[in-house]
Amino acid sequence: MPISPDNFKFIQEFARDTAAIVLEPGKEYLAETRLTPIAKQSGFNTLDEFIAQLRTNRTGTPFHDQVIDALTTNETSFFRDFHPFETLRQHILPKLIEQRSGMRKLSIWSAASSTGQEAYTIAMLLRENFPQIIDWNVSILGTDLSPTVLNQARLGAYSQLEVNRGLPAPLLLKYFKKVDTKWVVNDDLKKLVEFRQMNLFKPWPILPMFDIIFIRNVMIYFDIETKKTILKRIRQCLQPKGCVFLGTAETTLNIDPDWHLATLGLATFYQNKPAMDVAA
Amino acid sequence: MVELNDLIQHAREMKPLPASTIRLAALINSPHVDLNEVTEIIAYDQALTMRLLRAANSAATGGSARATRASEAVFRLGLARVLSLAIAGTMRDPFQRDVAAYGLAEGELWRHSVATAAAAETLFEVAGSDLPPETFTAALLHDVGKLVMGRYLSTEDLEWIHRARIDGGLSPLEAERQILDVHHGELGGIIAQHWEMPERVVKAIIHHHTPADGFDIICDGVSLANLVAKTIEGAPAPAPDAESLERLGMTRDQLEPLVATTRNRFQAISARYNAA
Repeated sequence: MPISPDNFKFIQEFARDTAAIVLEPGKEYLAETRLTPIAKQSGFNTLDEFIAQLRTNRTGTPFHDQVIDALTTNETSFFRDFHPFETLRQHILPKLIEQRSGMRKLSIWSAASSTGQEAYTIAMLLRENFPQIIDWNVSILGTDLSPTVLNQARLGAYSQLEVNRGLPAPLLLKYFKKVDTKWVVNDDLKKLVEFRQMNLFKPWPILPMFDIIFIRNVMIYFDIETKKTILKRIRQCLQPKGCVFLGTAETTLNIDPDWHLATLGLATFYQNKPAMDVAA
Repeated sequence: MVELNDLIQHAREMKPLPASTIRLAALINSPHVDLNEVTEIIAYDQALTMRLLRAANSAATGGSARATRASEAVFRLGLARVLSLAIAGTMRDPFQRDVAAYGLAEGELWRHSVATAAAAETLFEVAGSDLPPETFTAALLHDVGKLVMGRYLSTEDLEWIHRARIDGGLSPLEAERQILDVHHGELGGIIAQHWEMPERVVKAIIHHHTPADGFDIICDGVSLANLVAKTIEGAPAPAPDAESLERLGMTRDQLEPLVATTRNRFQAISARYNAA
């Protein structure tokens, strides 16, 4: 189903205003690919007819939620990019655990967590490598805009295709059980992880202070002003010695000068200035 | 538009491999291979025995004396080749069909698969690296996902993938992933799991275009073998990734001899696979 230029413009604006999603010119094919199945399922003969319906009520209908859901890139995988998790395991967490041994508390945020693989990866990493914190108060918060992906994250149920993406076989067998065609995360990991709906682009709810924040491959979709706003808000909920991981194609350079870039192992991460000694 | 779950289902409906091949795969993958057991499995499968004897006596591997027993064929070919040849005997027919979705005429996918297996064999000798024996099998099967993609993608799907490449500037693999939420390597991985192939074979099939993400040298080996095969076929092939070459213990200077040796041996090795 082709999309008219005027309707593509509407979708661009709607995606930007609702979820800060940037659909550049040339991405008409993406709008067509993602929206055609919804239009067909809803009984519309053309994509333009479907968008005309969207335009009658600007927000708030199930169609609007479905459109944002469809346009959001939910690509994720277990141990995605690998190196940040190695840096976490080898450098950051040992130091952090030492520093937190009095409070016995760790707080980690997986922002734009999609279907939850990143949050569960961190949970597995903690269980595998740091048995000394088994009775600590550890919380891993996963947040995402989409209720659909959050439902899957809460279930912790993944297809064979999803576990093939980055999850080593020994960890699959140790932390998941096969239920019909799905692999389901065990209860121990689920207890460490909580998922909540949150739109990074809208006012944020009250959040705890985090030791570690993963917000990867999400800001690339935002314009520079939105990036500035989000980085400022992140700073407000990051512990003084906390660490932030961005995606490999993302940086704070030329956006926000108040971040210190640190490299340990093969991964880079960001801390509030001045540079902290968490991983020194 | 084809649904992801339907593609996965079709992958799982691929005709299973013969029980003897699956048992061979499991045995050869185990740390303590019992050669008697391997020979016994082969001996009970007459068709497989005949195929392996033909391969063992083909120009590429034949010695002065003809092999006449399964044990002799196993000794002459080696376990890794035995498995890849056992699979080749089963897979030749489906791989011979045209795969229009990928612009592959009848026989082209088979030739490419054999060329990749041939390149893997050459790589094994030239690179002197730590490639595991499963590399031959993974090289032969690396594009198996294209069989399912080619059969079930609609004209509309193909047009969108094409537009993702042209308008979106994505690589063929990225375009498949963006439009279908799965690429042919991943789908091939699902098929290999359905066939109970060893874990490293599955991993190499999934990551034959993205070796750095596989964290296993077999992914580098199959990825490079695929590029060498494309080169000798005259197809466009990107330059191998520098880090991948480094993991294989190779330099760029070794690529040209690798291609030349594979090209020279391709006919002979093809004869072996076609005899299998």
